[in-house]
Amino acid sequence: MNQTKRIFFAVIFTLLTSLSAGAQSVAEELRNDVNRSAGLYYALPVPAIQTNTAPEGKKPFYINHYGSPVSYYLPEKACYEAPYSTLAKADSLGKLTELGHDVLQRVNRIRLDAWKRAGEVSTKGTRQARAMMQRMMEQNPDMLVDHAYFSARSAMHNHCIVTMDEAMLQLAAMHHPMQLNVRASLREERFMDPEDAYLVSLRTDSLTLAHYADFTARHTDDSRLMASLFNDPAYVTDAINPATLSQQLFKLAGSVQHTDLAGEVTLYDIFTPEEIHNHWLKQNAWNYICYGGYTQNSGYQAYMQRPLLRNMIHMGDSILKRNLNVGHIRYTHENVILSLACLMELDGYGLHTASLDSLEEKGWADYRIAPLGGSIEMIHYRSGSDDPDVLVKVLLNGREARLPIPTDCAPYYHWQDVKHYYLRKLYRYENRRFNQKTNQKTK
Amino acid sequence: MKHINPIIRPTVTTILLAVCTLLSPVGAQTVKDHIRENPAYASCNYHIYPDSINAKLTPAPKGKQPFYISHYGRHGSRYISNRSGFDEPFMMMMHADSLDELTPTGQRVLEVMKQIMNNSEDRWGELTEHGRRQHREIIRRMAERFPEVLGDTAHVEARSTIVPRCIMSMGTAMMELAQINPRLRITMESSKRTMDYMNYQDLELRKTQMTAEAKKAYDKFIANRMGNTRLMELIFKNPDIVNEIVDEDYFNYYLMKMGLFQVHTPLSKNTYITDIFHIDELYRLWEVDNAIWYIRHGACKLNGGTQPYSQRHLLRKIIADADSCIGLPYSTAQLRYGHETVLLPLVCLIGINGYDLETDDLEKLEAKGWWCPDVFPMGSNVQFIFYRSGPNDNDILFKVLLNEKEAKLPIRTDCAPYYHWRDFRKHYLKKIDAYKK
Repeated sequence: MNQTKRIFFAVIFTLLTSLSAGAQSVAEELRNDVNRSAGLYYALPVPAIQTNTAPEGKKPFYINHYGSPVSYYLPEKACYEAPYSTLAKADSLGKLTELGHDVLQRVNRIRLDAWKRAGEVSTKGTRQARAMMQRMMEQNPDMLVDHAYFSARSAMHNHCIVTMDEAMLQLAAMHHPMQLNVRASLREERFMDPEDAYLVSLRTDSLTLAHYADFTARHTDDSRLMASLFNDPAYVTDAINPATLSQQLFKLAGSVQHTDLAGEVTLYDIFTPEEIHNHWLKQNAWNYICYGGYTQNSGYQAYMQRPLLRNMIHMGDSILKRNLNVGHIRYTHENVILSLACLMELDGYGLHTASLDSLEEKGWADYRIAPLGGSIEMIHYRSGSDDPDVLVKVLLNGREARLPIPTDCAPYYHWQDVKHYYLRKLYRYENRRFNQKTNQKTK
Repeated sequence: MKHINPIIRPTVTTILLAVCTLLSPVGAQTVKDHIRENPAYASCNYHIYPDSINAKLTPAPKGKQPFYISHYGRHGSRYISNRSGFDEPFMMMMHADSLDELTPTGQRVLEVMKQIMNNSEDRWGELTEHGRRQHREIIRRMAERFPEVLGDTAHVEARSTIVPRCIMSMGTAMMELAQINPRLRITMESSKRTMDYMNYQDLELRKTQMTAEAKKAYDKFIANRMGNTRLMELIFKNPDIVNEIVDEDYFNYYLMKMGLFQVHTPLSKNTYITDIFHIDELYRLWEVDNAIWYIRHGACKLNGGTQPYSQRHLLRKIIADADSCIGLPYSTAQLRYGHETVLLPLVCLIGINGYDLETDDLEKLEAKGWWCPDVFPMGSNVQFIFYRSGPNDNDILFKVLLNEKEAKLPIRTDCAPYYHWRDFRKHYLKKIDAYKK
């Protein structure tokens, strides 16, 4: 197929997907499910998702999967204790309104439910992990063959390990005999949760912080909330940090969805839809700054995950001549998945901009990209082990994603094209880093 | 260079010993036999779980069927938890090497140590492939031996401590179980909420482990067992010179441990370090370690004999859990994955196979059969298998398997190896109720 035709298809596909993605605005999505406002802490539901059947004459033979942990309790005990003690102290001084008192009771319930569970996968999470795996295999039933080899890896963090164990237990129950292996090792952090001190050092330069402070100031007004919780404005002025308390309560509100209290207790009702939206905007902007393509702080933060992408490509090549079906099922942190999606430019999330205000309009919403239970799957298809034209497709959170690469068979892409595109991208960046280093040395 | 492997090259002594063993009235293996067969036995809690279990099981009591399994198991083979144990001899060797004080054997030992350090780096405490295999095999045998419990749609409730190697041991075992019977209803949990019985470390009791009396007895016991002049001469050109940088006792102890530990790692085929030790030297290490484990977790009279009570919460939980599962109409298994520092005192508290031994004489431990590596190698486990004729049976029987072999309890029974559950409950609840902090 000639290049023009490829580009034509790519343009059509881009138009189609951008139209469908733009179907709902963030405001609408938050209205439909306020839990989305928790951003990376949004518990991704697991509906059945129809995907395209395998390309004609080909079958899936390799899945390379990077998943976020499933629903878990907030990572620190302090997330529960801090807002509780603020409210409890105010209560002891008689400074709470009726609503404030009610909120204190609710916070206490949430806090007791989370007692000795900070950072742990919740029971809802365990169900979610199993359902995610079940759906992945139902979308790719050809993967489940006798003696298929599935090797699972997890970042050295309990909620990642538990997510992996639950998912693999589901897999084990779906077919037998298979070869299943689970591992977690600090040795593999280099492609599970890599570090790059240089990129981190760029992340929050003073100008970036100034921009973010300005953005935050424009989206913060907690006076209504404070007036609704406390009966004494002077006390609020003296003893309360409204922005902190509001943020703590908002975080708690988002955490309830992961627990069995969901449906019984909520804290979202104490915020107006506009306040919820504003909280989300701030946290989304912060995630963009830290993990996305924000040009103010170099625009390269997502490159933190280049070892993952390189490993993905390397494994894709090394598996080509294997006869058995193989699955590499990895579980790492949600921010890693977020950056990886940006680095791979899935569905246009590679967005580069210096304007934090434009993120919403351009569709860059953290809960769409890397919620809890989310994943990036690259599935490889071939007709046989000598097939020179392996095709791949990428699923972001179970849905077929668009890559920034021309193709004549969307949602499938030619492996050779995918590989060249990403390797070139990584090469360009690494070359840049190398030159930087050399320049520094010669100065 | 050819080196002696005592396992595959029978020497005159081993043949003599084998004959003696055959003639001995008990017919049982001695500690030295164990060490000869598997040197890791000498490292006590670093002993490795057997590759196969040949023990025969007594058929179910007449008219009854197994319906519930309660289990506490240690994680499988792992890397050493932190680097300090390896750093000790490694740094001494590096230092000696920098002064050109290593003999050719010493050089070779250092090479192997470097391999070990490289292999262990960033893997401290991790479950190894051996560990995963152990847990797959243990659960498979459990499912094969007790299909009545782990068949059909039985409930399996697995719990682990929050330590990754335990979560991974549980996960590996449960995956294997789902491969054997995909219809099982399996749940897993690793939570700080269960740590007060899954991994209870009684800090108050721990403070009383090394009483002055115990310390005195222990120091006396190890006095002639720690050093190893032969090793020093084998490894260092001038043992009296390196004395300043190498502590003979420490070096001997930790080098042995470092070598023996490799049985759990991908370096298990490289036995060079282990092979430089004589059986007697390994045996002395066993004596020292066995004694310290007895003082820490056994009913040692030198510190009041109460250390096993550290696991009173676990035992109470095991009893309560069993009571609640006995009433269920379907089969259940409760599988717990934890640590040796829980398993050993639990076994001592229950007095399985005489491990409730009370003595103040450390010299007697061997003769009395208090051999801790039999209790808690990596992958070790205690299984309680419960039998009934039906949900309304009021005479529930059970038996205990220690590392998958039928075990004896210090309570009366008319149907060994089975015991009446009501007798067990009564005896042990009374025992832990009577314990005063």
